[in-house]
Amino acid sequence: MSRALSLVMLWCWALLAPAAWAGPVQDAQQAELERVRREVADKVHLSAYDLLDELVMTWVKEPPFERPTPVVMAGVSVPVGLGTSLQALMENHLSAALTSHPESTVQLVHCPACTAVVVHSGPEGTVVKRGVDDPEVLAKLGEDTGRHALFVDIEAEGAFLVLRARITKLTPELPIVWSHTRSTSATTPSLLRQPTRLTTAAEARQDYLDALRARGPISVPLRLGIRTYATPDNAEQPGVAPPPFLWLQTGVELGTTDARAWTSSVIVGYSFIPQAYQGILAQARVNRLITGRVRSLTRPNLYGFVGAAAISVWGPATGSFSDELLTADQVLLAADEEGPRTSFGTLQFGLDLRVGNRIGMGAFLETMPAFVNSPNIGNYLFVITGFQSVGTEVTFWF
Amino acid sequence: MLTFAFIPFLQLNDPAPNIVRSRDRARNLVCVRVEPLQGAVEYPGRIQPPRPRGDDADRSTLVCRERLLRRGLRAPRDEAVLNTLEDRAQDVALRVSSLDPALRDRTWLVETFYDHPEVLDKISFATQNALMAQGLSVSDRHPKVAPGDVEVLTRLDPMEAYPAACARYQATGSVSGTDALLALVALDRRATELQAGLCVDGRWTWLP
Repeated sequence: MSRALSLVMLWCWALLAPAAWAGPVQDAQQAELERVRREVADKVHLSAYDLLDELVMTWVKEPPFERPTPVVMAGVSVPVGLGTSLQALMENHLSAALTSHPESTVQLVHCPACTAVVVHSGPEGTVVKRGVDDPEVLAKLGEDTGRHALFVDIEAEGAFLVLRARITKLTPELPIVWSHTRSTSATTPSLLRQPTRLTTAAEARQDYLDALRARGPISVPLRLGIRTYATPDNAEQPGVAPPPFLWLQTGVELGTTDARAWTSSVIVGYSFIPQAYQGILAQARVNRLITGRVRSLTRPNLYGFVGAAAISVWGPATGSFSDELLTADQVLLAADEEGPRTSFGTLQFGLDLRVGNRIGMGAFLETMPAFVNSPNIGNYLFVITGFQSVGTEVTFWF
Repeated sequence: MLTFAFIPFLQLNDPAPNIVRSRDRARNLVCVRVEPLQGAVEYPGRIQPPRPRGDDADRSTLVCRERLLRRGLRAPRDEAVLNTLEDRAQDVALRVSSLDPALRDRTWLVETFYDHPEVLDKISFATQNALMAQGLSVSDRHPKVAPGDVEVLTRLDPMEAYPAACARYQATGSVSGTDALLALVALDRRATELQAGLCVDGRWTWLP
């Protein structure tokens, strides 16, 4: 009996549970959908602006009318699935571009009866339509007929955004007097033309390219860097860490494309402190743009890099680059000597923040495999291997 | 050390599923192959133009981009129709313009029968523009039928309703002797294909 009762209760619970959970789950799904829609709308609105600019530019180059003509903005529709806020943005942008370009001959006018839904009863029955769909109704309402109506539709078709526009003459026959379809891909960089000074897409792309190629594919960096070395952490036999090294470096940096998502550089450097040390360095690096796929002309760009260097140092202060323990006494005794000459290789990982590819500052961690067990040099960080050196640098690109 | 300098030139960017790209993400890509010249114009800075004396080897670039609207944002049927809207419109316009040359002088009306009004408007818009691009005269007018006719027509089988509606358009003068009506019809709610029908001089024909 109790088993049967529990089965009935389970059955009732199973029936009621979905009803109880439906609300929150649906709300969450709805909220997620809205979030995704907003994200997509943010992504497409610049491309849609470009298409609208292109439309106005077409009218500037080839005016659809001989003289300025009143046109009613009858409708702007946006991709199915995106909200009306995008629609308002598009309408405003198109209005602004048209107002700034009277030479387009499209003169926007206000006509509430044209876009409002009107109800008209007659012998043929009751007709519910917008004025632009039935100019006879407009005539009966006392509005001018013979005006023109502009319809614009933007739709997302796969990865492409397609703009369609048509101008219809508001006479009983409603002839379409002009139409235009233009498609673009959202991957094309937004041209961001000023609505007050429109240029063709080709001209805008050329401006963009000129800005990107201002320095050409090869640039010459001039870098001032400093490397510091970790003090050893052996308390019983403390060695003496090398002094900080100042480096002046220059070389070439090459971008694979104008986007400069990947760049590589080969650089040589020289370091000199009188009475202490001298050094030469050769270094190769690969840089990868982290903030975006194309370097920005307006925002700072952050690159991550990995590199390798061959360093040769000599002088009285370079005795610490050794696997043998160097004490403070030995350092003092070696002050008047020429000192040893040491060559070693390093691997480095770091970040480089650049502004306009003209100035930048970076920081990196460096490992020196030859001195992993040196009693004179400690580790700043140990991940798989020890990183004995930290460097910071400021770079100017020419 | 020099190996590092060459790594950027060895990068592979295949749109196929791989360790870092799942199958779902790969399926969401729309890829178009572009020639270097076109690519340099459309993607400045990212695709290099051909060199003045030609490239050493034939090259083209596969430009891939995720769909603008992710799956699930629109109904699957609407998504299928809208994703290929321009191709569909151009295809229908081409078929219409290759019909009897005498029809080219007529004014074309476009009527779409689809169960989602927003998509319906877009189909009509695209078709009208495609017909205009073929050099045809197109009107924004929609043919009217009397309320009594609607009552009868909606009770008929679609295969009978459209020819009957065409005859009524002719009888009421809604589609006159100088007009031609192109109708795009979604006959089955499960299908994404739109059938095209022609109403000329009161006679209805399904376009092949």
